[in-house]
Amino acid sequence: MIKLQGLHKAYGKHQVLKGIDLELPKGKVLAIIGPSGSGKTTLLRCLNLLEVPDKGAVQLGSVSLSFQEGVKLPFKDVLSLRKQSGMVFQSFNLFPHMTALENIVEAQVTVQKKSKHAAQLRARSLLEKVGLADKADSYPNRLSGGQQQRVAIARAMALEPEVLLFDEPTSALDPELVEEVLKVIKQLAAEGMTMVIVTHLMRFAAEVADHVILMDDGHIVEEGAPQEVFRQPKSSRAVQFLSRLAE
Amino acid sequence: MSDNQIQIITDSFWPLLKAGVVYTIPLTLISFTLGLVLAVITALVRLYAWDFLKPVARFYVWVIRGTPLLVQLFIIFYGLPSVGLTINPFLSAIIGFTLSVGAYGSEIVRAAIISIPKGQWEAAYSLGMTRWQALRRIILPQAARVTVPPLGNSFISLLKDTSLASAITYVEMFRRAQQDVARTYEPMLLYCEVALIYLLFSTVLSTLQNIVEKRLDRSSVS
Repeated sequence: MIKLQGLHKAYGKHQVLKGIDLELPKGKVLAIIGPSGSGKTTLLRCLNLLEVPDKGAVQLGSVSLSFQEGVKLPFKDVLSLRKQSGMVFQSFNLFPHMTALENIVEAQVTVQKKSKHAAQLRARSLLEKVGLADKADSYPNRLSGGQQQRVAIARAMALEPEVLLFDEPTSALDPELVEEVLKVIKQLAAEGMTMVIVTHLMRFAAEVADHVILMDDGHIVEEGAPQEVFRQPKSSRAVQFLSRLAE
Repeated sequence: MSDNQIQIITDSFWPLLKAGVVYTIPLTLISFTLGLVLAVITALVRLYAWDFLKPVARFYVWVIRGTPLLVQLFIIFYGLPSVGLTINPFLSAIIGFTLSVGAYGSEIVRAAIISIPKGQWEAAYSLGMTRWQALRRIILPQAARVTVPPLGNSFISLLKDTSLASAITYVEMFRRAQQDVARTYEPMLLYCEVALIYLLFSTVLSTLQNIVEKRLDRSSVS
């Protein structure tokens, strides 16, 4: 389902990803953890080409692309890879000039060329799924952070992507709103949605993920099932990072 | 004030108002509409077009903003005939004002587009939109709301600036007042009268502008 090979990314002289190899089968959940600046968000953004890798290969669903320094990818390849995934952002990024329903309808109509009616039907069922059927006509500024993020999840699922990508989905939320968002993500995991989640919440990662990678300084320093990574970390970097969290 | 002066004021009021409604306001509306189209195109060129076009747009804005509107009108109306291009006063005024609104407006539109957070682009891209789709469906509608107050001000400025068209013989409201003065020798009275009519027009417009802004404020957008 997801396969990364030798992924490199640098901003100028600063190497952010220094050769990432990774595989995730369909229906599994991957959690990416690690200290800030370790490259986890960049890695996630390379999966839908919001950041274009310098080197390496990305396979997502039925599309695989390889990257070489100095070679610009045709935009239609970029689009075909992007259409394999939906993304949920830390700061929601809902379209403020559209209602919750319109946010979910938009790409179905402009990108997928669906009829408005069909798009609205799907949007309504997605809103119901995230528990916000009654908020269809609300504008984002009338919704709490937790509600906005649930609409954003529904929007990311609107085009029936193979994979959902989450970039610290609860980091911008007040503590009391975190749980409602996590609940939706857990429910999706139970339904067999393939997901990649960048998170700071270790307990959540342990609970929801099938596979955890711990990143540090552009490398994957530890990976495996959550109980292995959290209980018996092998690398000294992982031991250090996890013990600091436990304090 | 003598009876004769009162007579002059009342006699000239309706013709002046009529000249305003029939000439000044259409001139303003047409130039502003065309100018807005030009402003959006110029802003988009400066932000997103091929590199060879960007200097063209920058040059246009630089020239128009750096020279007096009156001089531009003179070049169009009095200058161009000597290179074989004769344009009637009305069209000359439309061209001059359109170019002016286009240049100043492009800066407003450009600033509004830039002010939309990067996350909006990213959300659109992550849904598989092209740059044009993102711009048209996500960015421009939000930018449009940001431009309402400054463009409202430009509109009111333009309404007053159309009086410059009198200098290229276009008989709009101010030129009409000048003609009345030539006939009656009452410059103080008639120029104050026409000033009051401009004041009336711009007051109505700023009231409308306030209503539009309030309405935009209420409907969404944090």
